[in-house]
Amino acid sequence: MSQEMTPRAVITGSLAILFAIVFVMVFWPHATRDMTPSEIFRERTAEENAGRALYIANGCVYCHSQSVRSIDWGNGAERIAQSGDYVADRPVLLGSQRTGVDLSQEGGEHPDDWHFAHFINPRFTRPNSIMPPFEYLGMDRIKRLTRYVQSLGGKSADSRMAHQDYWKTRVTAAYEAGPVHNAKWLSDHVPEGWRMVANPYPTSVAGLARGQKIYQDFCMGCHSPIGDGMGPAQPWIYPPPLNFTILKGREISGGILYFQIMNGIPGSAMPHFKAELESEKIWDVGNFVAVQFINQRDAGGIRRSEAGGQ
Amino acid sequence: MTGDITMESENYMTARAYCLTAAFWFAVATSFGILAASYLVAPDFMANIAFLEFGRIRPIHVNLVLFGFVTPGLLGAAHYLVPRLMQTRLYSQKLGLITVLLWNVAVAAGMIGLSLGHTTGREYAELIWPVKILIVIGFGLIGANLFLTIRQRKEPILYVSVWYVCAAVVMTGVTYFIGNVVWEPETGALLGISDAVLLWFYGHNIFGLLLTPLSLAVAYYVIPKVTRNPLYSHTLSILGFWGLLVVYTHIGTHHLLQVPVPTWLKVIAIVDSVAMVIPVMVFLINIWYTARGKLGEIHADIAGKFIFTGTIMYFFVSIQGSMMALPNVQRITHFTNWVIGHSHIGVLGFAGMISLGGMYYVLPRITDKPLYSRFLADLQYWLILIGVVGFTIVLTAAGLIQGNAWLNGETIYRVLPEIHVYYVIRLAIGVFIVIGAYIGLYNVIRTLYWNPGAES
Repeated sequence: MSQEMTPRAVITGSLAILFAIVFVMVFWPHATRDMTPSEIFRERTAEENAGRALYIANGCVYCHSQSVRSIDWGNGAERIAQSGDYVADRPVLLGSQRTGVDLSQEGGEHPDDWHFAHFINPRFTRPNSIMPPFEYLGMDRIKRLTRYVQSLGGKSADSRMAHQDYWKTRVTAAYEAGPVHNAKWLSDHVPEGWRMVANPYPTSVAGLARGQKIYQDFCMGCHSPIGDGMGPAQPWIYPPPLNFTILKGREISGGILYFQIMNGIPGSAMPHFKAELESEKIWDVGNFVAVQFINQRDAGGIRRSEAGGQ
Repeated sequence: MTGDITMESENYMTARAYCLTAAFWFAVATSFGILAASYLVAPDFMANIAFLEFGRIRPIHVNLVLFGFVTPGLLGAAHYLVPRLMQTRLYSQKLGLITVLLWNVAVAAGMIGLSLGHTTGREYAELIWPVKILIVIGFGLIGANLFLTIRQRKEPILYVSVWYVCAAVVMTGVTYFIGNVVWEPETGALLGISDAVLLWFYGHNIFGLLLTPLSLAVAYYVIPKVTRNPLYSHTLSILGFWGLLVVYTHIGTHHLLQVPVPTWLKVIAIVDSVAMVIPVMVFLINIWYTARGKLGEIHADIAGKFIFTGTIMYFFVSIQGSMMALPNVQRITHFTNWVIGHSHIGVLGFAGMISLGGMYYVLPRITDKPLYSRFLADLQYWLILIGVVGFTIVLTAAGLIQGNAWLNGETIYRVLPEIHVYYVIRLAIGVFIVIGAYIGLYNVIRTLYWNPGAES
């Protein structure tokens, strides 16, 4: 054994290495960091910060990242994370696992009532979720947590929230005017081109089975197994989830269903599924709803534009 | 090494206390682990019990494994091998026992805090400020006791295990202080993105400067002892030691390759992550050549068996880690269960196995009796080996499914049902590990207190 490896050599040597590397790998990047806020950055309010404390206390960071990469898809993937997004974060909550979704741009993706139902039990709004229920927090803290989640994305989140709020009053008014008006309002909402389109896939046992699977995985929590809008999320959501059975005889085409599933209904708890579901899956679940709950289908039919002679 | 004072069992009270600490927290930690794994299968199981919610018990599981089980187990062995190698007594048994007590108070307080939601939210640095202070003091006391032991040594030359123990205690004490931002009691964090740089510098050094050096110290001591072979190469042990300290400390930023931090930091992290092959292989060549031709002796000795297996796991986890630092690999593996598999093969397969092996080496020698049950130790070995290998296979498969599906544009909610069955198998395999932990606890308690075995 070597005489050079004295206690002093070992201890001073390791400390010298450690301090040199801390200087280069930690202190230098910290001292030279760019603290310029990004174009979407804004300060959080006191209530949003209180919600962030709940986010930390309950370990949300272990399943949710807040860091969108250039290779990501899904909600929020339109914007790659920049260091200027994090200038007010202490600690930074990047996360190391995606057991759940990335939340960088979650603000304004859903209205508040969707979040309330989701926090009470995530499977109410997302049947496939494996997130813990947070009913134990109580409504006050759930509301605070919601404020924080709705702030994620900074100014982008604010503009999405403004969009939700703008449509919330309209979608609520339409619901309160009664089912006849509501059904018409919802359909008129869809561009005319889409209203004319029939479901291009023929109704088949296989197609309906696929549609049912999608319905169970994505829709059932709100619209319920029998399509009456009385799923477990219903008590927290207003206007309540749509009862499909009121749509019979109202010329609901495959195109209308497709458009609403694809884009969601802003202001209501109905999210868009354009990031979750590819085209055929949306047609399949739309046809399942048409056959199963509305009892009126146009699947595999010719396009109305052809029938109407355009 | 025949100095009689080193043979007196009352000189190893501190080592006994560390072994008991490790065995106890191992059982508790894996219990939390299995509960967390069950939530991933059945998220409404035990729902709405705040202090048992997934996000609260995940850090409890991780912190207990790191600071409750693996570290004290390795320290138990260190408090045996340092006095033995230095031909002297531990400087102060009283100080050692006070340190163990303080350490346990810190761990317990930290865990109660986490279960009540008192956390900084920074991985591996979650504990609240008073607990952090206790742990920094703990490292200080451990260092003081061991250095004063070395100072009163009868043996002039320091064996490689002693270097590693010294470096681990000193460097982790400092890294823990810096990484936990102890000068910021309120948040325990820096402001802005460099908080993540510091966090992962610190987080990776918990493995690189604490678990790894202590594990290597134990392996360097036990493998030559068990095989009765001299250490293969002194030069390699020096190269491996300094190589590890220099290279390992650079690689933390490989956790942030897909994050907006400076590119030069990422480049250094990737290069050094690949360069980790050097200190790892230098150590493994040294240890495996030392054991050459003596695998029968290793198989016959339960401590040797645990520790030699740990070195094989060290090989796998290190080569895997170097690969995972490559940006093209990480494109698939990052954020997935692959990484959870990697951490289990590292912390349980490598450091945990060596921690258990160190305990089983030390316990008969400090109680003057054979282990209460060699059979139970063997059973624990197989349960944990099957558990950790099974974990790695299942979680790697799940991670590949997640990573590729995400890259192809399938969203989280689409992929969750695809990996459900892997969560179920992981839960089942986790049962092996939990049973192994409780068997170990029973064996350690019986060895320490109710051991009918003949005086050896």
